[in-house]
Amino acid sequence: MLKTKKSFLDVELPKSDPRVKLIAAKIKKENYRQDALIEILHTAQNAYGYLPMNVLAFITRELKVPPSRVYSTVTFYHFFSLKSKGDHTCLVCTGTACYVKGAQALLDEIENKFHIKPGQVTPDNQLGVQTARCIGACGLAPAVVVDDEVKAKVTAAQINNIITTKTGVGA
Amino acid sequence: MPKISVKIDDKDLEVEVGTTVLDVCRANDIDIPTMCHLKGLVDVGACRLCLVEVEGTSKLLPSCTTKVQANQVIHTQTDKLKKYRRMITELFFAERNHVCSVCIANGNCELQDLGYKVGMENVRFPYLFQNCEVDSSHSKFVMDHNRCIMCTRCVRVCSDVEGAHNWGIMNRGYQVRIIADFNVPWGDSTTCTYCGKCVDVCPTGALWNKDATQGSMQKYPQAVSDLVEKREMKS
Amino acid sequence: MNRHDLKTISEQMKTKHGQFKQKVCVCCGAGCLSSGSEAVLKKLQEEVKLKGKENEIEVVPSGCMGPCNKGPLVKVNPGQTIYQQVEGEKVSVIVDEHLIADRPIEKMVLFSDTREKPFINSQEDPFYKKQHKIVLADCGDVNPESLEDYVFYGGYQALDKVLFQMSSEDVIAEIKHSRLRGRGGAGFPTGIKWETVYKYVADQKYVICNGDEGDPGAFMDRSVLEGNPHRVLEGMAIAGYAVGASKGYVYIRGEYPLAIKRFELAIKQAKKIGLLGANILGSAFSFDVEIRIGAGAFVCGEETALIASIEGQRGTPRPRPPFPAESGLWGKPTLINNVETFSSIVPIIACSGEWYSEIGTTKSSGTKVFALAGKINISGLIEVPMGTSLREIIFDIGGGIPGDKAFKAAQTGGPSGGCIPAEHLDTKVDYESLVALGSIMGSGGLIVMDETSDMVDVARFFMEFCMDESCGKCVPCRVGTKMMFDLLTKICQRKALPMDLERLEELAVFVKETSLCGLGMSAPNPLLSTLRYFRNEYEDYVNKSQALAGTR
Repeated sequence: MLKTKKSFLDVELPKSDPRVKLIAAKIKKENYRQDALIEILHTAQNAYGYLPMNVLAFITRELKVPPSRVYSTVTFYHFFSLKSKGDHTCLVCTGTACYVKGAQALLDEIENKFHIKPGQVTPDNQLGVQTARCIGACGLAPAVVVDDEVKAKVTAAQINNIITTKTGVGA
Repeated sequence: MPKISVKIDDKDLEVEVGTTVLDVCRANDIDIPTMCHLKGLVDVGACRLCLVEVEGTSKLLPSCTTKVQANQVIHTQTDKLKKYRRMITELFFAERNHVCSVCIANGNCELQDLGYKVGMENVRFPYLFQNCEVDSSHSKFVMDHNRCIMCTRCVRVCSDVEGAHNWGIMNRGYQVRIIADFNVPWGDSTTCTYCGKCVDVCPTGALWNKDATQGSMQKYPQAVSDLVEKREMKS
Repeated sequence: MNRHDLKTISEQMKTKHGQFKQKVCVCCGAGCLSSGSEAVLKKLQEEVKLKGKENEIEVVPSGCMGPCNKGPLVKVNPGQTIYQQVEGEKVSVIVDEHLIADRPIEKMVLFSDTREKPFINSQEDPFYKKQHKIVLADCGDVNPESLEDYVFYGGYQALDKVLFQMSSEDVIAEIKHSRLRGRGGAGFPTGIKWETVYKYVADQKYVICNGDEGDPGAFMDRSVLEGNPHRVLEGMAIAGYAVGASKGYVYIRGEYPLAIKRFELAIKQAKKIGLLGANILGSAFSFDVEIRIGAGAFVCGEETALIASIEGQRGTPRPRPPFPAESGLWGKPTLINNVETFSSIVPIIACSGEWYSEIGTTKSSGTKVFALAGKINISGLIEVPMGTSLREIIFDIGGGIPGDKAFKAAQTGGPSGGCIPAEHLDTKVDYESLVALGSIMGSGGLIVMDETSDMVDVARFFMEFCMDESCGKCVPCRVGTKMMFDLLTKICQRKALPMDLERLEELAVFVKETSLCGLGMSAPNPLLSTLRYFRNEYEDYVNKSQALAGTR
């Protein structure tokens, strides 16, 4: 019997998973067009919170694009992440206005309590901290987004309380 | 093809419409260094070595992607351009880890030749000392990212000439790296055809044959240029 | 839908709004929403209903009113009274006192905490008085989620005028006459750009709206997209008609979910009644618009990179020429303008190019929207005529620097711009004057720094930004930004020598001249401008360097 090389692309996703259905539906809606890759990646990232490798393999196969092109595109854009960002997230804006108004102090305070730096996730995957290059809420500087809620004019004294109240992490 | 006249470095030339400044110069013994350019591949204007000054334009223009226009006066060897070419070369050397004496391509390296050509005596800028991998998982070839200058000739030859799309580019800024498929070891690639064109076009010691030894690796970028030309011929 | 239907909508809305004695607008821009304006809107509606006044008082959501750090903002019309920081009990007070008893509450109005005598009519406050709102004209009044409301404010009349009374050449002539320049930052004359695209013959052309507002500290496009999305859409359709394009794309940053949501809704509404799609208003013109969501790459604001991104690729720029006007999206002639530019089109068509050209300065006509932020008393969104001085913007409109600190510099143009010191406060802001000062207009972010700001650290902040955002394609930007960042860090750590400062300057000029795209060409600007005006701060660091300690 002819042997074929086992490929990292040969992964099956559970067809009953609603997230897989969502991505499959998006691909169909975009007519399997290769230039819709970024749109499809957005859908996948929203569904999973990040882009697991088997999901990327699924998209690659469905769109019939070279794997290198998918990986090139994913790693170019900051929005896409190959690792889980944590069950709950705290995004500290470090745009110019927030930087001038003390965003760094917020990050220091978070690190003091949760021992994680931007881009890291607590060992139990409960909380992840990220920074953004301006979320456009400069009038509210410094601004923080906890899960999906924007918190305005946050002080270093408040930040950890805000996180705990909103997410329950660190209570 | 209609002809137009241009003046390059005091030479009055008659050239065909649609020719690039670089092609005009190469055909008339005007030496402009290049790194990312290779005849037969789509030009990307990325290495910036071939920048020239065009009178009436304040910006420096890459000669590989700029087409000559009637009555242009172009300078290719001004002091400023020479200085910038030397600085670009210094940046190439400082970006990753280029140690010629122990390199597989020593003596057959376009980057090394460039250093001699532009008169680079030392690198005045801080080295980045990036930690780069050597991928020797492929049965025929090796990819040493320490020697890579991101000219992307390998990426272009693989997608546009071979059609395999094995190579891609990951990340951005100074953290860009050449990758195979999903950033897998080259040997695990599902798309590589083992054709070796990327090795032939690589200007440095980043891509080499596994059986090569120090200083013995010969490259044949011309082979790819010729191949493209032959493919365009009508039988 | 035909032309008659547009009139019907307008008249129906007139009747509908005419029923009410008062209109209460609750700002639902991103700023006010995050200070809780959605709850305020709900509570106001409930209270009004409770008092049985729902047939007299209309309570609607609106776009950004300007002073974002005073939110949630509530505006009562007639009278243009704006209440600041409305929450909890204040809602009932507004309903009982102002809306029902007609006694505006002075101690709760905008700036009542900072001004001795606050203004009941907000438009008399210096914050508004020096402004001239064209782009933001209806922002803060119109309900951004209602096409009918936009039509009530005169929306889609300009499109109607263009389709039935003007040729493509007429439209382009009018835009040229206005002397409008691209508001994305570089200031290229819009009319000439349109004409160039118009002149290329192709089976398909495209219009792209650049809403990839990536400068940290800028939120003008966000507010326009959120506050008046139909205005942008109408401007794009007019552009499509003028240049001969039947398809448009709006590229919006992924960081702006509300702008995306409102724009999606606007497109859906317009398609439903035939203001987008085939044969718009019964004319021969067809135009369709799709949204593309940015995925977090500053360089995608560069037009060739943006095109690559819309095509689903890495957003790396390519050398120009050829310019997108000749070969853009999928190799077709493409017109790219930013959000603010498209928002300026409707008033120019509705009034005239002549009218617009008389606003502002000779070389830079019209108005410019700025996002004020940083060490300033009133941060938020403003719109002023070109030629307004920095002093007027920062001190008269923005209310000066908090805590009696001294003004040090204004940063314009974000990571591509520069810092303007106090001695140039009286400069009249336009494209040329800012370039002469070593900065750029940019998209309109204006960050104020006070005496406590460390300018070397500011330069380092922007260099880090450019280093992270460099696409990595061309050598000078890829390696140069990293080297400059390392050198700036070394200086800030007091480990640098005077020699390092020389290298830094040499690199800055080199990167500016040799980079492939606008990002690299302008990345050294914050560094060069702070070196120009605050060189002593760099020298302080270098001369007090620990590295020098052993050599003396």
